Amino acid sequence: MSGTDLESLLRELAPQVLGAVVRRYGNFDIAEDAVQEAMLAAATQWPSEGAPDNPKGWLITVAARRLTDLLRSEQSRRRREDTVARWELPTRQPEPANSPADSDDTLILLFMCCHPALSPSSQLALTLRAVGGLTTAEVARAFLVAEGTMTRRITRAKQQIKHSGIPFRLPASEERAERLATVLHVLYLIFTEGYAATAGPRLHRIELSTEAIRLTRMVHKALPDDGEVAGLLALMLLTDARTAARTTAAGELVPLAEQDRSLWNSDDIAEGVALITSALPRGTVGPYQLQAAIAAIHDEAQSTQQTDWPQIKALYELLLQTSDNPMVALNHAVAVAMADGPAAGLERVQTLAKEKQLAEDHRLYAVRAHLLEMTGDTPGAREAYLAAARRATNLPQQRYLNRQAARLDDADNDSDKSALWLIN
Amino acid sequence: MKYMILTYASQHDYDGMAGRGTDQPAWSPEEFAAMGAFMEAFNTELVEAGELVETRALAAPVHTRRLGAQHGVAFVTDGPYAETQEVLAGYWIVECDSFDRATEIAGRLAACPAPEQVTANAYADVRPIMESAAEITY
Repeated sequence: MSGTDLESLLRELAPQVLGAVVRRYGNFDIAEDAVQEAMLAAATQWPSEGAPDNPKGWLITVAARRLTDLLRSEQSRRRREDTVARWELPTRQPEPANSPADSDDTLILLFMCCHPALSPSSQLALTLRAVGGLTTAEVARAFLVAEGTMTRRITRAKQQIKHSGIPFRLPASEERAERLATVLHVLYLIFTEGYAATAGPRLHRIELSTEAIRLTRMVHKALPDDGEVAGLLALMLLTDARTAARTTAAGELVPLAEQDRSLWNSDDIAEGVALITSALPRGTVGPYQLQAAIAAIHDEAQSTQQTDWPQIKALYELLLQTSDNPMVALNHAVAVAMADGPAAGLERVQTLAKEKQLAEDHRLYAVRAHLLEMTGDTPGAREAYLAAARRATNLPQQRYLNRQAARLDDADNDSDKSALWLIN
Repeated sequence: MKYMILTYASQHDYDGMAGRGTDQPAWSPEEFAAMGAFMEAFNTELVEAGELVETRALAAPVHTRRLGAQHGVAFVTDGPYAETQEVLAGYWIVECDSFDRATEIAGRLAACPAPEQVTANAYADVRPIMESAAEITY
């Protein structure tokens, strides 16, 4: 077994093993440490001694043994601290029969890690460690913080779960839909964190978007009939498919209209399109499905000119009914401009500029610049690109916007090359 | 011991990095990418050595908001700095054995690739961080 195969096997088994251990012995916080140690033992022993016939059983046994040790030392520490030891050592036999499917355990863990009592940053970190099987050091690196900081964040999150007394089972059905929405939002945040870092020179953090896709796949496997889960997975695949075309070798942003579409990943597009196509007719269409449908139209078009803009406009109008997100409104304005002409789009932008949330947002200025350029108002467009660049804080985006302004400096021609940066 | 390494830049330096020429030329894509690659390697090495506590880059000085009072009247100013005034641009907090080791780390920033007009006058400061309230009270 190669190192990569071993790693993906362990990462796949991690939530199943943790689920099985917590189901039998409780103590989520300590069990989580025990499972990490069991995984570490496997990673060091299996390459030299060979993987056992039943890797999952091996991991559960080792983790349970480690859990016993950890609980014992915790108990004696507590006795020393003159506190009554509260926990039962794991003497119970594993629960027989009707043991639920592994995919259910993965789901239960996700629901725990994305508990609404936790802050979003704790939800992200704990999900990546307990469900994703990443080590604390790996999670810390993905978020560019010190390992000690991440250790404290994860420990605190586990303490909160412990004190909240959440039982290890799926939430009651009436609250499940709401909780699932939180889980999907956390997975989406992990994905976007990987897709565009909010500051600094580096634009892609590939590991996190890949991890988000892997975790969303697991949820899709557990809930194959849920349209929003399928929609989120499709959205991630259809967005991730453009990664190679989205920046130049030197790391400069390339807007959608100028991307080399032959660099798009056709396997991801095919899978995303198939997912969203089968999800859409099934029932209520939620925001992830709508966004995936929009991404699918872009991904299947040969060029910006050949894109079905009236359809995209209609989808944004549906999306606007489910969300008051100002970025949705801004993207809708772009679609209006592409479907009905730049003047109609600019009118929408004018209206949006009166809203406090967007009035100083660089993206509003970037869209205005683009639409002004479409109308042929080169000086106005140039001014708006510069205004957008001044308001952006992300350096690659600033570089992109300044490049657009400089392009209009050089020549008043070539306005075809204008940029649809926003829906990049 | 913890130390803070501080680097400085003016609004014009930021504009150059963001691809906009002022009294100094804009950075080319290659120059910008080279700096990004250097910083990533530099930070990764510090993480792996267990010496990095935290590092951040600050947005351009123009995004600063200053709060204060003048003759007892509170004020808020957007972008209080002159275009060429050098202000804090980024920092690293490192935890290492000695002031000399922190200085050595900061010294490696001199190797960061950048256009000549930037490297010609670049500098960084290293300052010890007070660890407890006891260090700031008498």
